[in-house]
Amino acid sequence: MKSVTVSAEVAGTVWKIEVAVGDTVAPEQDLLILESMKMEIPATCAHGGVVREICVAQGEAVAEGQALLIIDGA
Amino acid sequence: MSWKPELEELARRTAMAEAMGGADKVKRQHDAGRLTVRERIHRLLDERSFHEVGALSGIGEYDAHGAVTQVTPANCVFGRGRIDGRPVVVVGDDFTVRGGSADASIANKPLMAEDMAAEFRLPIVRIIEGSGGGGSVKTIETKGASNLPGGIGTTRGFWRMTANLAEVPVVGLGLGSVAGLGAARLAATHFSVMTKASAMFVAGPPVVARLGQALDKQELGGADIQTRSGAIDNAVNTEDEAFECARRFLSYLPASVHGLPPVTACEDDPQRADEMLMSVVPRERRKVYKMRPIIESVVDRGSFFEMGRNFGRSIIAGLARLQGHPVLLLASDPFHYGGAWGAETCQKVVRYVDLAETFHLPVVYLMDCPGFMIGLEAERSATIRHGVRAMAALNQTTLPWCTVIVRNAFGVAGAAHQPAGRLSLRYAWLSASWGSLPLEGGIEAAYRAEIEAAPDPKARLAEIEERLNALRSPFRSAERFWVEEIIDPRRTRALLCEFARLAEPLRTPGHARFAMRP
Repeated sequence: MKSVTVSAEVAGTVWKIEVAVGDTVAPEQDLLILESMKMEIPATCAHGGVVREICVAQGEAVAEGQALLIIDGA
Repeated sequence: MSWKPELEELARRTAMAEAMGGADKVKRQHDAGRLTVRERIHRLLDERSFHEVGALSGIGEYDAHGAVTQVTPANCVFGRGRIDGRPVVVVGDDFTVRGGSADASIANKPLMAEDMAAEFRLPIVRIIEGSGGGGSVKTIETKGASNLPGGIGTTRGFWRMTANLAEVPVVGLGLGSVAGLGAARLAATHFSVMTKASAMFVAGPPVVARLGQALDKQELGGADIQTRSGAIDNAVNTEDEAFECARRFLSYLPASVHGLPPVTACEDDPQRADEMLMSVVPRERRKVYKMRPIIESVVDRGSFFEMGRNFGRSIIAGLARLQGHPVLLLASDPFHYGGAWGAETCQKVVRYVDLAETFHLPVVYLMDCPGFMIGLEAERSATIRHGVRAMAALNQTTLPWCTVIVRNAFGVAGAAHQPAGRLSLRYAWLSASWGSLPLEGGIEAAYRAEIEAAPDPKARLAEIEERLNALRSPFRSAERFWVEEIIDPRRTRALLCEFARLAEPLRTPGHARFAMRP
């Protein structure tokens, strides 16, 4: 089973985490919302799977490219 | 007595050239998943259209009677051919001959290819693998002296490498490991493509290891690195896709600056009005939306060809057709910092706007720009200087512009949405919103004294925000004629097609007022 790391496309702060560890998620589903330049930028994964790990906390500042979640591929 | 023996020798020598570096080296190239330079040229060009120049060049070996036994061909193959029936020059490195390295190269071959493109006003496609015939350490021994880069007798190639950017479309395909002069020839193009198995670097892993950086080729100069850095425009999975990219890019452009972009027949209805355009921009201002489906909806169906997707991602750039007319299409991507322009985005704007000016492509800009990037990182990367440079590039254009304000237009970057000092066409969508500064954060700065003096500062802030919000409707700006038109977004395609028709006779062949730089 392949796991995929979802990284921050942009620098910002973690505004909302929409999933929990163990959740099954669909491709392109919003997993987490970053706030960047006053906009809500959803982080998604092209493949569906199961959330193995959430690497960030709500309110945390993240850099571009920083790992946000790890999804175990279906 | 005819010239039959010589004709036979010509055939024999031509066959030697076609054998390239020999069966072993060709097998090694294939085993590594790569095509030979001749296969590449044939797959790039229209069938049987390649006319080679200089096939006989190389290093000959002779027997005691002075008869040729073997010629190791020079590791550059070039000539003319056709792409979609239009003539082009193609020049490729032969990696099966000494790994494309300098000791097997004849510098005048790639130079003649560049000269031919310039003199006959033809696009040139460089197929690059290896060091592109650049110098190597070995030549110090074989030549008995060290090469001065740019020294006597070597400057013309360097001059042509960049001078052609102001003359003819130049495409670079990086297919394999590309270093040194090869990397320079790949980067000094209007459009560059590499396969994901390829790598490009100034110097490869063994040299970089001396810096203490233990990296493999992919880690140092793979597609992820080079498309994100902006050194390479596009990355593809296969060599065939790279050839397709080259053909597609050229299909929008004239053969040289002395021609005009070819207008083709269009089967897509110029009046097509997609319903989704009415709802695609969310009413909540903090919510983002996907710009690429909007582009697809307004240009001729299937005609959008994106370039440089991984670099300066707040701007989407590409070539497209409107009722068959090629245009440069720029569009904001709100997914990247809300569409704000950082230093890299500004560099991207300069590159593609200059391309448009060089080859007489009218420009369409679907705008949603909340301003320049702000913050320490933005200051450290000289966002404002790159920003005014992008603005200068816009202002140097002479081509017709059409801007559609899809949502935001704020600040100085907001002003950089059409050339100043001449008339462009402009349409604002119903979702448009603009100002010198976004209200969020801007109010605190502008009304500080009033807010601080209020018994309930928070309530006063909300009150001011409500007051200003009521005034910022784009219709109020339209009343004052600060914006000329607010449109139903579904009319966008029809208006853009009209723009392309109006722009057609205004396109003027010839050199741009500046020479484009890579």
